[in-house]
This record gives sequence, structure tokens and C-alpha cells, in this order.
Amino acid sequence: MRGLLPLFLGIFGTFAFSWFGLTVIPNVQIGALNPQTDEEGGDVYPAPPSGMMLRGARVYAANGCVYCHSQQVRPDYAAADIDRKWGERRSAPRDYLFHPIAFLGQMRTGPDLANVGKRPALQEQGAAAAATTKNSAPVGSPAPAVASSPVPTTPAGTPATSALAETKAATSVAPAASASPSVSVTAATASASPPPQASPATTSTTAATTASVAPAASASPSVRVTAATASASPPEPPSPGSTSTAAATPAEIVAPTTTPDGKPLPYTAAWHHQHLYAPRSITPDSNMPAFRFLYQKRRINGEASPDSLNFAGNANDRPAEGWEIVPNYDAKCLVAYLMSLDQSHSLKEAKAATAPASSPAAGKEAKK
Amino acid sequence: MTPAGLTQEPPPATEVTASEIEQVERALIDASTRLPVLVFYASAIAWLLIGTLFAAFTSFKMHSPDFLAGVDFLTWGRIRPAHVNASIYGWASMAGMGTAIWLMARLCRTTLRHPLLLVTGAAFWNLGVLLGVGGILAGDSTGYEWLEFPGYSAIVLFVAYLLIMTWALLMFRYRRGDHIYITQWYLLGAFFWFPWLYAAAQLMLFVLPVQGVMQSAVNWWFANNLLFLWFGSIGLGTAYYMIPKVIGRPVHSYYLATIGFWSFALFSSWTGMQRLVDGPFPAWMITASIAATILTVIPVATVGLNHHMTMQGYFPMMRYSPTLRFTVFGAISYTVFSGLGVLISLRSVARYVHFTQVSIAYSHLGLYAFFTMVMFGSMYYIVPRLVGREWRYATLIKLHFWSSAYGVGLMVMMLLVGGFVQGTDLNDPSLPFTESTQSVLPYLRGRSLSGILLTVSHFVFAFHFGLMLFGLGRTASLPTFLNPLEPEPGRTH
Repeated sequence: MRGLLPLFLGIFGTFAFSWFGLTVIPNVQIGALNPQTDEEGGDVYPAPPSGMMLRGARVYAANGCVYCHSQQVRPDYAAADIDRKWGERRSAPRDYLFHPIAFLGQMRTGPDLANVGKRPALQEQGAAAAATTKNSAPVGSPAPAVASSPVPTTPAGTPATSALAETKAATSVAPAASASPSVSVTAATASASPPPQASPATTSTTAATTASVAPAASASPSVRVTAATASASPPEPPSPGSTSTAAATPAEIVAPTTTPDGKPLPYTAAWHHQHLYAPRSITPDSNMPAFRFLYQKRRINGEASPDSLNFAGNANDRPAEGWEIVPNYDAKCLVAYLMSLDQSHSLKEAKAATAPASSPAAGKEAKK
Repeated sequence: MTPAGLTQEPPPATEVTASEIEQVERALIDASTRLPVLVFYASAIAWLLIGTLFAAFTSFKMHSPDFLAGVDFLTWGRIRPAHVNASIYGWASMAGMGTAIWLMARLCRTTLRHPLLLVTGAAFWNLGVLLGVGGILAGDSTGYEWLEFPGYSAIVLFVAYLLIMTWALLMFRYRRGDHIYITQWYLLGAFFWFPWLYAAAQLMLFVLPVQGVMQSAVNWWFANNLLFLWFGSIGLGTAYYMIPKVIGRPVHSYYLATIGFWSFALFSSWTGMQRLVDGPFPAWMITASIAATILTVIPVATVGLNHHMTMQGYFPMMRYSPTLRFTVFGAISYTVFSGLGVLISLRSVARYVHFTQVSIAYSHLGLYAFFTMVMFGSMYYIVPRLVGREWRYATLIKLHFWSSAYGVGLMVMMLLVGGFVQGTDLNDPSLPFTESTQSVLPYLRGRSLSGILLTVSHFVFAFHFGLMLFGLGRTASLPTFLNPLEPEPGRTH
């Protein structure tokens, strides 16, 4: 080749072409998006992130979660993501507007997390939970069944909730309903339980059920207000994990937080904590590493922490008597981040392929 | 010097011929590059061993997740990026820069001035990689693939790089003769592209971060271009030097080489977005990258054809020359790597292989089967010329080659087949998700087996290199051949 100049210009030019074409021009196109609003300027999506969510994303990056979990739902014509219930519509650039780092991911050694803050319990997990024997925490036990970390749980309400989850007979609903003020507080703060108000699935149950629901409904104003803050109620009324049991046990209509064997309901904060601490205690086939270094084992000093992990039905990981396992702040942030992953809100540019099971109003209601 | 040159009659010793002057010149140039290139090589090999150990952890923990899980800096999600970055920036980049420096000096026919500047650059680069790997293990990873090094490491790397690059370009300034050989095109490209690439990625991700998904676009633009324009350029440039040099025959066609180089620069720089297929991006970005990936068939075919025609009739020499054997293995792997890249970029195939182990197979084909093998080849050629000794044991070289070749072959096969099984299961929503992870586990265990082979290979090579470094090589006038020379080697055509 003759001459340095043409060589240099060529080397410069080809790369400048690529740089402009693949980073600068797309940045003009999708690099300055705004949140979507309705005509009146309300219903803002996506919502700005919380401080805990931002820090949680750092924890997510530091511990390499992205190497196994993607955060993107591909359209139904391209892949089975939507069939796998990882989302109702494809992901769009606007969904990631406020993500400090968009962890789109390259690998699915673990399931997609684009909607993990909103995802209904998986069928298989619901079935597995139903198959195992009941072994829930006794009423008023020092270690409460619910450990919802992003929002502090009131200790008074928690034992009552675990009691509710355990009750099976319709007769026991009446005392439970009398405790409804405290229950409703718990339901609101446990940020991922199915909404306590009567959903289509529950209203269609037997007459006995509707009768027993009535007292609980008397507390409905307070429940409804707080339910709006619940960030992860299932988008579809027939949520496989919860409704199968809810139909059988009217008590659980109020506030189910654990499966019959005492494990936390999938994708609640308590579930995430137990899953991060001991993945195989929840999914036996999982090959996710345990993140025990995000948790602290300590002696119970006086009263047990409301954050402490519940290991009902899981003797292997349970700490010795008088000890408890609590998440450190990074773990709480990580779970807050996971719970914030939610692309269920409808977007103009990414329509759901089939009519979404939940109405836009339901999605709106569940938003923070 | 080479098996081909060996069979020729040596010129009469009494008169000083032009070729003898040239040989003295070459010896002087080699001597001037001695210190910096050996520093680069020694550091690279140290990082190779560290990266290999991290790789063993990564692979093993994939199927035994509870192994050492309680320690934060040994969690899988930190060991994996530590392995990737130690291998990319520690091993591959340092080996590549060492080879590039030596090639530049040889091809510019100029002695290396101020070698201590380069040694300083190497020291800073080592510091940057050390800080980066330490930072990842301590929990400072940025979360962007191939860019996990935290900011304090990236800035050190960049300063180190500027030192090294300025120096390499200065050498170009003092070159003798107007002719610019093919290898120099690639090396100039690499030395120029890398800082732009690295600075642009750092700027757009950390200094003035772009919004949302654009980060992923920049990330994959960077990663793919690092693979092609940095490692690809250095690897191809090295192969363009080593193959003709060892067999003692000019490159088959300069014309083909020109087409190959410019189409390489144009098309491979536009790839990368195919890794985000069907993701939340405007479809044109992904389609453009898929089209560019398909068009890389042109440079791959021309380069492959050129190497093949150059080697035509000389393939039996791979029996003797370690350099040739490693380099040709690498060059063939480059064709396989690019072919696989085209295949998995197609949407109909990506449906089954996206988000699976296939992408790991692809990266290892590029970075190991192609680049690393070419680098091993160049080290077998260059190191004896720097230390004035020959490689001590032909057996060790053979062991190195075969364990590397079988190791990477097994790994790629396991990950390809496992990835395809995984992808097929993922795409069948009637199967539970865990089916897809369970079905790939046997393949991942197979991959761990391949890791044992690669670990053996690297430690053997490091030991052999250490012998050379401490002056324990053979003192002989003949290079070490893999097999005893037969009469008229390589003259079978």
C-alpha cells in the first residue's frame, strides 16, 4: 500500500462511520425519551426510581446478577417470553428510562426479571407448594411469617396474618375479620400480596365464601387506599399460585402471605429474601448461588426483628433457637430493586399481542 | 532459521553479503525490543494463569453453586467478570501489545528507542488490571460486560495505553522504507481504534451516561468492536506476518489482502447489535448489524483464501514448526468463529440460541481458538529471538498445543450443543424453566473437563516460558521442531 495518508484516513473514516451509525444516531433517536403520560398529564410511566432502587441496582451489578438474568421481554413472534408469563408485552426503550443501568442481559441461566416485581406466581411453584406438607409458624411465634423489608411491617399485624394464612375453616373467618384493621395495615405494607379487595376470581366463589368475606369488606375503605401502594399484585385475576388456595380457603382472601407449607408467596419481598439466602430451599433445581454474605446471623436481642427470615418448612437453613437471620441494607436495596422491575403498564409503542388479562385501570391502581 | 531456510546451502562465510547485514540488523532490532516485549509477555502469562484459575472457579460453580458460596468475593457473579477481564485486559491485550511492538519494530526496520517508556506503560497497565480485578472482587464492578473495571482502574489503563500507543506510533514515524506491509495496516488500525473505542465507551457509559437501553447498545458496540477491531486486527496482522515468514514465501495476493482489510474495517465495525436481537431497540439498529455480520463473509473469505493460498503445498510444515501450527490453527479458527457469528446472528437461528451458552462458545472461539492460539504461535517465534535460546522441550510444546486444541475444541462443542439444547427448551413454554437449566448441566460439566485440559496447557506453557526467561533454553543454532526433521521437509508439492 502506498502512502500513509490514505491508510490513516480509511482507518479513521470506517470507524467514525460505525461510531456515528451505532451510537450517536441511535442516541438521537432513543436517547432522550420522556415518561409517558395520559392526556391530563397524569398516570406517569415509568415512575422515577427510589433511592433504594438505585442502590439496589448497584448491588445487582456488583454481584453479577446480569450474567444469568436478562431483563427484556421479546415480542411474541420472536420467542416464547410472553408464553412463559415473563411479561404481557414486549419491552420498549421507554421502560428503561430511569434505570441507572439497563441490565438487558445476554444469558438466561435464570429466568427473565423484566417483570419480576409484578409477576404472578408460577404454576409449577404453586403446585409444588400445595404438594408439600403444611408446616407454618405457630401463631404469635417470635419469628413472624412476613418479612417485608422495603416497607417496615408492623410487628403487631404480622402474627395475625400468619394466623390467617393458616386458618382453613370458614367459621374462623369471623374472628379474623374482627382483626381486620391490623390486617389491612399488613396487607398494604407487605408490598407484594394479592390485593385484599374482592377480585373477580374471589367473588365467583361459593355463597359461604361471600358471606364470610362481608365482615372483611367492612374494612374495605382503608384496605383499598393502601392496596394502591402494593407494588406487586398479580396482574391477572386467576393468579395460579394464590387463587388455587384462595378458592379453597376463604380466610386467605384477606391477606395470604405464605403458601400452606409456610414458605412466603412467590415474588413477595419475603420470598426474594429467602430465595437469595437459600435458593434451593424454594426451587430445588435452581443453580443460583446463595447470597448469604448479604445476610447477617445474629442473636435475638429481646424481640425478633420484623425483617428476619422465616424458615418454616425448611429446617436445613433455620438458625438455632435464639438466633435470627436478617438482611443487611444491601440485601434490602437489592430486593427493593427487584420489586421495582415492572413493565406491566401499557405503552403506546409496545402493545400487548393479545388483549391483556388485566385492564389498564388495574395496572394503574397497582402502581406506586 | 526456518525449516525452509534450513535446507538451503549457507552462503560462503568469507564475504559479507547483504543478507548477513540484514541479519545483523534484525538481531539489533530484536535486542532493542527485548526488555519491553519480555515484560509484556511475562505479565500476560501471569494474567493468563490467574484468568485460568478464575475460569476454573466459574465453570465449576456453574454446576455446583454451593461451592464457596458464602464468601462475597468468591461469589460466581464476581469471579466470572474477574475471569473475563483478567483474560481480556491482562492476558490477551498484553500478549497482543507485546507481539505488536515486536512486529512494528521488525516491519519498520528500526530499533526501539527508549524501551523504558514502554516498560513503564506495561507497569501501569498491570496496575490498572490489578486494580480492576481487585475492584470487581471487592464489589465495584460496573455491570457492563467487558467493561466491568471500575473507573479508578479504567483511567490507569487508559493512561498506560496512551504511553504504549504513542510509543508504537513513534516507531512508525522512524520507519525505513516506504513500503507498509499488511501487518502494519492491521496494527496501525488496532492501535488507533482501541483508544477511540475505549474512550467513547467510558465517556458514554460513565462520564456522561446515555439513557436507558442506549447503554446496552454502547456496551455491545464496544464489546464487539473490541473483539474484532482490537483483538481481531492484532491476530490477523500477526498471522499475516508469521505464516509467510515461517514458510519463507510471500503472501499470495496483496490485492486480496487490501480487499480483506478494508471490508474488515468497514463491516466488522458495524456488528454488535445482533447480540440484542429482538430487544427493546429500533429494529433498524439490529438489522443493520445483522447485515454487517453477514457482509463480514467478504473479509473472512478473502483473508482465509489468502492464507490458504499462501500455505498451499506447505501444510506439512505444520508438523515441524510450533509457530506455524499454532498460527494456522488460529487462522482456521478465525474462519470458523466468523462463520458461527454469521449463523447465530440470523433471526431464525437466534430464536434458538439467544440467551444461551452459545454466546460463550462464540466468545471463546474468537478470543481463545483464534486470538490466543495466534499469540501462542507468535510467542514461540519471538521469544527465542529475544533471549537467544531455543525452546527446551519439543514434548512440552506438543503437550501445550494438543491440550489447548482439544481443550478449546471440547469447550466450544459442549457449549454449542448445550446452548442449542438450552435454547430449544427455553423456547418451549410447555416445559418448566428449570428444564432448560437442568438440560444444559451435563454439558457444563463437560466444559469443566475442557477447563482442566486448558489449565494443564497454560501451566505447561508458563513453565516452558519461565525456563526461557531464566536462560534455561537450549543453546542451539536450530530452532526447536516439534518432530525430527526428515530430508526435504515441506517440499512435498
